[in-house]
Amino acid sequence: MKKKDIIAKILFVITLLAIWEFVSKNHLLGPRSELIFPSLEKIMQAFVSNFTKGYAGISLWTYVINSLKLLLKGLVIGILGAFILSGLATLSHTLASIFNLLISVFDLLPGVALLPVIIIVLGVNSDVIVFLVIHSVLWPMSRSILDGFMAVPKIYVEAGNNIGLKNLSLILGVYFPASISYLLSGLKVGWARAWRGLISAEMIFGIASCPGIGLYINQMRTNMNNAEMYATLIVIIIIGVIVQYGVLAPIEKNTVKKWGMSS
Amino acid sequence: MKYSKSKSILSMLIIILMMAAMTSCGKASSADTQSSSAPMDATLNLAYQYGLSYAPAVIAQQQQYIEQIYHEKTGGTLTINWSQMSSGADINTAIASGELDGGFMGAAPAITGVTKGLGYKIFTNLSGQEHGLMTNDSSITSIGDLIGSDKQIALVNTGSIQHILLAKALYDNGYDAHALDSNIVAMKHPDGKTALESGAVSCHLTSSPYIFVEKTNPDLHELTEVSDSYTAANTFIVGIASEELVNTNPEVYSALCEGIQQGMDLINSDVRTAAGITAELDGNDPEVEEEYLQKGVYTAETSRLFELATFMYENGFLDNDPLSYENLVFPNVSGN
Repeated sequence: MKKKDIIAKILFVITLLAIWEFVSKNHLLGPRSELIFPSLEKIMQAFVSNFTKGYAGISLWTYVINSLKLLLKGLVIGILGAFILSGLATLSHTLASIFNLLISVFDLLPGVALLPVIIIVLGVNSDVIVFLVIHSVLWPMSRSILDGFMAVPKIYVEAGNNIGLKNLSLILGVYFPASISYLLSGLKVGWARAWRGLISAEMIFGIASCPGIGLYINQMRTNMNNAEMYATLIVIIIIGVIVQYGVLAPIEKNTVKKWGMSS
Repeated sequence: MKYSKSKSILSMLIIILMMAAMTSCGKASSADTQSSSAPMDATLNLAYQYGLSYAPAVIAQQQQYIEQIYHEKTGGTLTINWSQMSSGADINTAIASGELDGGFMGAAPAITGVTKGLGYKIFTNLSGQEHGLMTNDSSITSIGDLIGSDKQIALVNTGSIQHILLAKALYDNGYDAHALDSNIVAMKHPDGKTALESGAVSCHLTSSPYIFVEKTNPDLHELTEVSDSYTAANTFIVGIASEELVNTNPEVYSALCEGIQQGMDLINSDVRTAAGITAELDGNDPEVEEEYLQKGVYTAETSRLFELATFMYENGFLDNDPLSYENLVFPNVSGN
């Protein structure tokens, strides 16, 4: 990243924080805006107390770890599922048309709307959250993979066939490397959808024996602990930024950018 | 290079100006609400939630009782902006931001709001409603059977009135108030009902009208400790008003209190007419609505409100001590 871009980003964040503090300190959102729009100092204190004190004796660490475990499980299953189903769709026109229909139908359905059905099928346990994460990842990721596979030039596929590649070896040897930029784009969309899906699901459906970040936010809202709630949102943002810049960006740098497939 | 730098600074300035403009817009709109009225005319912003527990407020809204009373007393016009919100937490946020002058919510979020210093107090009891802990497991006969088990209890949210009533029932029966905290699964009433009926959870702590429907299911039975500990005769839903409204516009406040009282009076004196008004909005059959309304208790007098607040504070559901009954309610409210 260029130095100029970094400075611009830092300046932008500082400006936002300054505006936040100005609004909070001057009670611009009503006589009790300090309660609903707490100062940065209070949010920082709440950030620390979320981890040291938590809610009802349970630290926010426990909530974060539970959420990340469920997210990782759902993300891995969702991504693998998207690869397998998209790979199968590449091998058969009939499977491709069925899979496209499934994507068109299910990508439009919000996971939380399926909650009553999922509860009946899976019961009330953390598998419900994992299922909702898989639902958030599978369809957009599959769409990106299929688009990527369809964009592979025919000559590449024919070249692969000529050297004896077919079925799985053709997918791994030709389709996969040739469409890596689409796969990465799908991964980014899938990750974001999964993260949001997880938090939404936990806010609607909180299991006290396996509490997640969404449940913590709800508990803070219910108790009007808004500084703690905003501090939790910061945790969500930090995790998102770590994944974006610590995981996805290096993958992108070492693949599509290194291979000259993207600027 | 120079052009690019100045472009960046310009973009930053535009963003700051836009955000400042948005902030000042919000402020202006809030001020308009408070100051645009003619001398005797006034505006009142109220919020309520879904369900029969709010019937007196819904009737007062539909029949325009508050507006009529205000007009009779002052000759002015009162415009009420009613909002339907989905939780007490939403109403608390809106009232703290000055967007609402009052509203109706569960006793627990109201106690939380008052003790947090949101600038409001309770101006009336609105209703007491049946609630109960239902189970689909015939081997469970009392609340004590759940302690130490992995049986799950569906209720609206941790910290909700249903959670507090569960904790209170435990406490009243000699158990730790938090003994079943890890058995809780937070889900909305309809989802909880589905989960209980399908066997996905063992128990559901719910309120009217879901409790009435679940009680008719022969596969379910009630663990009575919760309903025995805090009956329908006790405060469940309350009306709240901002201290600013009471201090700056006592005529509007007075009309609000009387209008809501009139709504309660209609339910208590002519439940059929009252059911006719609310059934249409709830989508229920009028006869079923009438039956449900008769099972609620609609009175302005609070019952065991301070006891509930004290219990919440002593068991970690409240950060601040409620101190006294008078600290929770306006002087016109009677009860305990």
